[in-house]
Amino acid sequence: MNEFDLMVIGGGPGGYAAAIRASQLGLSVALAEKEALGGTCLNWGCIPTKSLLHSAELLRNLGHAAQLGINLGEVHFDLSVMVSESRRAAEKLSQGIQHLMKKNNVRIFAGDAVISSPGLVRVGEAEILADNIIVATGASPRRLGAIEPDGKLIWGAREAMTPGFLPERLLIVGAGAIGVEFASFYAALNSKVTLLEVAAQILPVEDSEIAELAATAFRAQGIEILTGCSLENLESSETVTALIDGEAREFDAVILSVGVQANLSGAGVDKLGLELIDGFIAVNEVQQTNLPGIYAIGDVTGAPCLAHKATHEAMIAAEKIAGLQPQPIQKKRIPGCTYSYPQIASIGLKEADLRGRPFKVGRFPLYANGKAVVSHQTDGLVKTLFDAESGELLGAHLIGEGVTELIHGFAIAIGLEATEESLIQTIFPHPTVSEAMHESVLNAFGRTLHL
Amino acid sequence: MPKEIYLVKVGMTMTEGMVSEWFIADGAEVIKGELLYALETEKINLDVDADASGTVRHSVETGINLAPGDVVGYIYEAGEAIPETSLTIAVTEPAVSIEAAPDAQVKPSAPSVAAVSGRLKSSPAARRLAGELKVDITALTGTGPAGRIVEADVLLASSGPGPVKASPLARRLAEQRGIDLSTVRGSGPGGRIVQADLDGLESRPASKAAGTAGSTAQVIPMKGMRKTIAERMQQSLQNSAQLSMDMLAGMDDAVSMRTQLLKEWEGEARPTYTDFVVKATAKALRLHPQMNSVFAPTGITLLDEIHIGIAVAVAEGLLVPVIRNADQLSLKEIAVESARLASSAREGSLGLDDYAGGTFTLSALGMYGVDSFTPIINQPQSGILGINRIFDGLTWDQDRPIKTKQMNLSLTWDHRVIDGAPAAEFLATVVELISQPYRLLV
Repeated sequence: MNEFDLMVIGGGPGGYAAAIRASQLGLSVALAEKEALGGTCLNWGCIPTKSLLHSAELLRNLGHAAQLGINLGEVHFDLSVMVSESRRAAEKLSQGIQHLMKKNNVRIFAGDAVISSPGLVRVGEAEILADNIIVATGASPRRLGAIEPDGKLIWGAREAMTPGFLPERLLIVGAGAIGVEFASFYAALNSKVTLLEVAAQILPVEDSEIAELAATAFRAQGIEILTGCSLENLESSETVTALIDGEAREFDAVILSVGVQANLSGAGVDKLGLELIDGFIAVNEVQQTNLPGIYAIGDVTGAPCLAHKATHEAMIAAEKIAGLQPQPIQKKRIPGCTYSYPQIASIGLKEADLRGRPFKVGRFPLYANGKAVVSHQTDGLVKTLFDAESGELLGAHLIGEGVTELIHGFAIAIGLEATEESLIQTIFPHPTVSEAMHESVLNAFGRTLHL
Repeated sequence: MPKEIYLVKVGMTMTEGMVSEWFIADGAEVIKGELLYALETEKINLDVDADASGTVRHSVETGINLAPGDVVGYIYEAGEAIPETSLTIAVTEPAVSIEAAPDAQVKPSAPSVAAVSGRLKSSPAARRLAGELKVDITALTGTGPAGRIVEADVLLASSGPGPVKASPLARRLAEQRGIDLSTVRGSGPGGRIVQADLDGLESRPASKAAGTAGSTAQVIPMKGMRKTIAERMQQSLQNSAQLSMDMLAGMDDAVSMRTQLLKEWEGEARPTYTDFVVKATAKALRLHPQMNSVFAPTGITLLDEIHIGIAVAVAEGLLVPVIRNADQLSLKEIAVESARLASSAREGSLGLDDYAGGTFTLSALGMYGVDSFTPIINQPQSGILGINRIFDGLTWDQDRPIKTKQMNLSLTWDHRVIDGAPAAEFLATVVELISQPYRLLV
């Protein structure tokens, strides 16, 4: 019989981070993972898609090389190399996690873990006793009614990031972050992409002004956007026939990216009597479920399904188990990043959330930013929202190249409860795209310099 | 010879003070008895009058700290040669060590300042506060008269009783909503006050636990008399071995005698029960000299003179004027003197000697219905007697209860000086005298 202070189920960015933090705090920790350490994020999500998008970005930039005085001749690409490179990156990072587990004395149990009862977990033949269990089993792509990926022409995210061929005509169902990232990737490889979204705007969780700018940029790249439309049927033979709002259209492949659902069955948590909300495990502010000794973190607890949210919740759960008093997570302080072209990054409230309260909005377009001009990346906007009375930074919404590397500045400001005064007083370095952040704040208070 | 104007000494504990204002300008004439200058010490502000007539020459500027007894100026009689300037500062306290900043806040506003350059102008209270709050006073800019650094400048520099950790947003919201952040418990990282802590306050306006209830909490500034009382009372409890006991006195005779005396002395004096206790205590102290003493680590000094302080509540706090040589005064004289002191205290017109030199203190709370309390010794004295209300009590005549007027006396004494038995003997003597009040008339 194995005994540990903590058993973590799931080795993704929530689970492995919880294991490390708990180990740092002196707990004996075991972790069960049925596939590769690193979870969806590292193996089938963030990391490999960023590798593919990096290839796409380079390809796109090489197309502009002559403009910058570099003559390359004709540029060719090899999709299979792009894919294998992305797999290599994922594998390398997964090995890194293995090393971290070893370094932190986390005992790994490979296989399907099942919680028999609070305090008792089985992984294959092994029985593990643990006073505390963290469920970090993540989420999987949601099904769209009866339509399922067949792995041939109808793809889920996994097939979409390991394509066997480059579809000439590609339908992407669902224009959330995952959908638009695939749209950007395949559009860069000259697929004719159609992006279908049932909601009135693409990127439904983003500020509508930003989403509209994104849609304009996508259309300029040749991406067809259908919003407020629903997919009624898919028929797959030599090609795929999609019935969209009563109209039949033909595609060479379809990617389904319509959100995720919690992984409950694998760990047996569906039989424990855990309280659920909308199909995700319900937790309190320190990640405790309704069952004593059982915690849940990350995607299995619901939106936003983001790796960094899982990692943060991992810290909270591990620290709570170790007897500390962690600060609860504040969801409005979780930034979100979409690595489409152009990139989108945001935090906090959207302009539409502010109806009925006095607020100030600042906008600064990247065409007025020196660094963006020399980089030929002038499509973009930094939008900031402030409470008119208190000066609280309520939200920040960015679109443009490299903005995913800028949003943390506003995350820090919101985390420290900075007011406009603190941001205005901050000195931003020149020449950087980050100056647009400063200018946006200045703009909200009628003090823009470069417009 | 010109007559010297001294920085007067007010009370035994005064170690330094300053001329905070000259009422008679340098070179102007003064008539004896006219107000000459304002004295400021840590404890009190007092107007000092001229004890001679003539031409006034200042030898110190306002705001310079001096020791009591230092010469602050001269009065020249008619016909005496008056020098151009007589500004000669006797810097009696190099230990003040403010000189470290020679280019500090002294404003060269008058030629006479040359002699005092290098000396920072600051009020004693400001310097004491600066020491307590660890504020570098040499770095401050004074906002008082002639750029003098006053308490408010030090408080401002220290930003209150201690730094409050709060987010910029929380600070602004608190300001907008009139919430005192020092009353808010921070729930953020490291106890930092964050927005949520203030939202909680706002949504519970009726909650007493919230304290501020969303409106401005009143803060009584810790300064002046309040600060002095706070410090002295705490020091007293920290520095000595105080304990208290009660003893019951029969008051039938005192009540009937007072009624009689009120008639007899009408228009001359109105004796109070406190006056009775003053007289009884003065007599008892003569019999129990240990209770009339000052403790020092090296020895206990028994005091010859008996000066009894009476705590008087005033709007700003508490004053303790002193009835001097109370053992040598008749009950009637005590009644006259205590009435004068009490009204002067309430008018704020107590003189120099009215405070100083108490050797024992009385504190009366009987008029508030109090039956017993534990007064705190007014150090460096060794005892204080609390006077409680007179009530209808019982005594026993065989098996028969008799209604009698009674009063508790609450004695606090310093056990370092007197043990329980002699303290009880002293209290018994007071009780005996008050119960047989005719003995107070002889």
